[in-house]
Amino acid sequence: MLTIFSAIGGLILAPLAGGLLTGLDRRITARLQSRIGPPLLQPFYDILKLLGKEPLTTNAWLVFSAYITLISSALALLIFFMGGDLLLLFFVLTVGAVFQVVGAVCVPSPYSNVGAQRELLLMLAYEPILILVFVGFAMCTGSFSIAAVFHLEQPLLLKMPLLFLALGYALTIKLRKSPFDIAASHHGHQELVRGVQTEYSGPYLALIEVAHWLDLILILGLCAMFWHTSFVGMAVLVGASLFTEILIDNITARLTWQWMVQKKSLLLGMGLALVNLLWLYVA
Amino acid sequence: MGFVDNMIKRSRLKSPWIVHFDCGSCNGCDIEVLACLTPMYDVERFGVVNAGNPKHADVLLVTGTVNHRNRHVLKQIYEQMPSPKAVVSIGACNLSGGVFKDTYNVLNGAHTIIPVDVYVPGCPPKPEAIIDGVVQALGVLKAKMGLGPQPAPTYMPGDADGTPDMTPNADSAPEQNPGTPQQNAG
Amino acid sequence: MAIVLYFTQSGGTRKLLVPAAVTVMAVAAVIMGANGAFRLEVGTILGLSADSVFSVLDLLLLVYILGIGWKLGSRLIMGMTLLQLIGLLYLKFVLPGHDAPITAFVADGLSLIMVIIISVVGGLITIYGMGYMDLHEEHLHLRVSRQPRFFAIIFCFLGSMNGLVLCNNLSWMFLFWEITTLCSFMLIGHDQTDEAKANAQRALWMNVLGGLAFVSAMLFVQKSLGTLSTELVLQKMTSLDVKNTAILLPFAFFCLAAFTKSAQVPFESWLCGAMVAPTPVSALLHSATMVKAGTYLLLRMAPAFAGTTMSTIVALFGAFTFVATCILAVSQSNAKKVLAYSTIANLGLIIACVGINTAASMMAATTIIIYHSVSKGLLFMCVGAIEQRIGSRDIEDMRGLYGKMPRTAIITVIGIFTMMLPPFGMLIGKWMAIEAIARATQAMTPIVFFVALGSAFTVLFWARWAGVLISSSKLHERPAHGHPKTSVMFALRSLCGLAVVFSFISPMVLKTFVEPSVAAVYARFNMHTEGFIPGASLTGAEGYVWIYFLFILLGLGVWFAWREARKVPDSSHAQPYFSGLTAERNGEVGFKGPMNVFEPVRVANFYLCQYFGESTITRAIDIISTAFLVVLVGGLL
Repeated sequence: MLTIFSAIGGLILAPLAGGLLTGLDRRITARLQSRIGPPLLQPFYDILKLLGKEPLTTNAWLVFSAYITLISSALALLIFFMGGDLLLLFFVLTVGAVFQVVGAVCVPSPYSNVGAQRELLLMLAYEPILILVFVGFAMCTGSFSIAAVFHLEQPLLLKMPLLFLALGYALTIKLRKSPFDIAASHHGHQELVRGVQTEYSGPYLALIEVAHWLDLILILGLCAMFWHTSFVGMAVLVGASLFTEILIDNITARLTWQWMVQKKSLLLGMGLALVNLLWLYVA
Repeated sequence: MGFVDNMIKRSRLKSPWIVHFDCGSCNGCDIEVLACLTPMYDVERFGVVNAGNPKHADVLLVTGTVNHRNRHVLKQIYEQMPSPKAVVSIGACNLSGGVFKDTYNVLNGAHTIIPVDVYVPGCPPKPEAIIDGVVQALGVLKAKMGLGPQPAPTYMPGDADGTPDMTPNADSAPEQNPGTPQQNAG
Repeated sequence: MAIVLYFTQSGGTRKLLVPAAVTVMAVAAVIMGANGAFRLEVGTILGLSADSVFSVLDLLLLVYILGIGWKLGSRLIMGMTLLQLIGLLYLKFVLPGHDAPITAFVADGLSLIMVIIISVVGGLITIYGMGYMDLHEEHLHLRVSRQPRFFAIIFCFLGSMNGLVLCNNLSWMFLFWEITTLCSFMLIGHDQTDEAKANAQRALWMNVLGGLAFVSAMLFVQKSLGTLSTELVLQKMTSLDVKNTAILLPFAFFCLAAFTKSAQVPFESWLCGAMVAPTPVSALLHSATMVKAGTYLLLRMAPAFAGTTMSTIVALFGAFTFVATCILAVSQSNAKKVLAYSTIANLGLIIACVGINTAASMMAATTIIIYHSVSKGLLFMCVGAIEQRIGSRDIEDMRGLYGKMPRTAIITVIGIFTMMLPPFGMLIGKWMAIEAIARATQAMTPIVFFVALGSAFTVLFWARWAGVLISSSKLHERPAHGHPKTSVMFALRSLCGLAVVFSFISPMVLKTFVEPSVAAVYARFNMHTEGFIPGASLTGAEGYVWIYFLFILLGLGVWFAWREARKVPDSSHAQPYFSGLTAERNGEVGFKGPMNVFEPVRVANFYLCQYFGESTITRAIDIISTAFLVVLVGGLL
């Protein structure tokens, strides 16, 4: 019972934390670009403003999809806080991602559709890596349950450094950072207007955005699992990952999906994951 | 609910997302608009983000000469923006046709097509002027929501009664070029 | 008891007979399932020893196939059938006689659930077939209905499938196996077009090859173990400490037989070609049941080769098939081909689980078999109904189907989601599979690599199809409902409902049927269960609770989202963004193009044929998979 309450509490705090982290992200990005940047609470103003906009949509299915995206991200986070099964978490996360794409495809707009196809390719790039990372977790802890991680004495980082790097790769994609922001990108880099999110407007965009925050918290939480033995360690790891992501975002340019899937995902990401898994397997 | 409503209203003022539409200009105004987004002027401080999609935007920045061809596009972009929204008309061509006023193809100003809230004159207006225009647009939105008074329009010296005022103001710095009308962005 | 129905139908009475027969069969199956595991001896049929009756039937069947081979002029088929005949005769007459009389039918949880699936899902598909075939024959302008033949063969097939999963004697299983081959051949070629006949022939020779492998396996088994009873075979195999290559050889042949039946690469072309058959055939044979026969065989035989390198190779092979066919499916826009490749992929996943050969993976394999049958059968039926209405199987033509066939479109979307999303059963199976793979000890890394990669590809083709179906430029589509045949809609609706409900009660299903059978198998043959705790294969002892929990929460979420979507007022309608040039003509949305000409919107999915296309990679896949097979069999010779 206590777990459920704490999980729900975590779930309520998560959007707040997600928004603050996003604000921090924008602030640091601005500083890196020699600007001042928006106030830390800016994402909250954005979301509130979006919620207050007149709801306009092309197709009611888009509304349905937006809600499901948020609900599944929330559910995935709930599973995470309850220490549940990693694979189940992954699959529930997939529901959200799939529905965002379905919502984009169901509008007959070229920007939206191409963005959706690219989003699917992004998912193609990061999903295998996430599964392999979770398998790595299982190999170290003997179970897929998140709660089992806390029974280990040593941080996972020592055993799975390469898998952490692979996770960082998945993190870059999930956070929509350059060079992997081909489907929809923050900071207004438009190539397909707003790609997969083009037709989501007003309150529905707010739902997608909050789902994105929840995903952010989730995946940072996974990063934190790599150093579960100390809170300081967790904070350091999360902070370092976030900062590195922002840095990479600012120093790279967006490239094509072929480059992403073929070279980076398959070779680099999965290669790293494989090597680590083999190492774990042998050890 | 009133509290949430209030929060939403205040957030609208703190997060104006813009969409910039160039009706067909020499791009001078566009470059100035873009300059606003650069680190030099950094409008993101105010929460301004260039969402290039009217479905995501609150403030429409229009530049360029409106003509019979692009008025449909302008109207549609305005209509695709969900309310509440504001329009800022930038540059001489967009205010009144500018250099091309009364030519065969030109409609004299964006205000003939869509309701404009703020006019920023200039050819091109400085980025500071444009930023100020956006801030004024927020004031207009604020007034529309009933949270503040309608902002008073500011005119160039002498425009209120139609005669250009060439004398420099007593409390302003001496001009390099006396006789150049001051650009007053309020 | 094997339910063997030989019907000859005639015209109008068919409409009554078919549903009645189906209901009887389905109800009987469920009752049988409820009664639990059983063993049944069948001593004599009509005064003759049952064994010899079956042997005679076996031989007759082979002679019949030989005749077909001759009629088709295919030396391949004739040659292989001849070899089978010789082998069978050798088996019956030359080899030393059988041991103690073999128990004819042994049914445990696995068999029972398979019978239920075959009877219920198969039954629903048959009912669907009634409505479908009427329209089909209208389209083909047939004057003399060929439906009697069609339904006779379908019932024959259902009977033999039931027999296959229930029987214990390998030679009887062979009879049923070959009957399914024959039924498949006849049904693929049902429409009698050139394409159909060519594909039927290809199906026949590949399956006959499998039959040949089966016979060889039986020969070796009889020779080395002295019995043809599945039970006894497994008993003897699992009591062996060292499994040397000679003993394992027959199982390699069984694997080969299963691979051809289940259309694994490099044999996948027959299944893809079989898509020319009428849809009920595709639904029944080539996704829900017949191809499962191969995996069923392997699942049964699995304890025999547990813990050997051969098992690992089988697992690798299955995983490779999974990822290869998933990649192929991405490049397809023909809906039936997508479903075919997806079927092969899931069968590959099942085989991978079988190869891993632990109790957990057995459970995973069984779960996938069960839920895949339900979902795939549903999807094939939907595609068939759609095709009859819009005249095309291409996914691109199904864009905006919600406007034309709302109920079918929704059912298809639900079907797609039961295939790939939690909390539905198929996903639970995949979850269990990955968990089982991760716990395996041999060669886990490449297998999990393949499975992870393949799984990512599946999301690609399912998600975009689902989105395409509900695409529309109207806010709330209020389409005029077409008038589909009652039987078609009844079947679609029931199977859809069944899929959802069945997934919801999946923990119960798993507990009642799957677990006991797996546990029993392992107990009977004294094998280690290695950390397999019933009910706990899904995290902790309360693993199953998660499924209910998730189902309920997601269900609530869906209901809430649906309500919100319904509430959107018409005034909120906006057109898509086309840089300000959006225009509408006759309700069709588009944009104002050059010269002010209206351009309708044209969108399509990425099929990426240059990377994932059939022509690009099939050759490579075939080569690699054949290499696998060579290693498998050759390694043991």
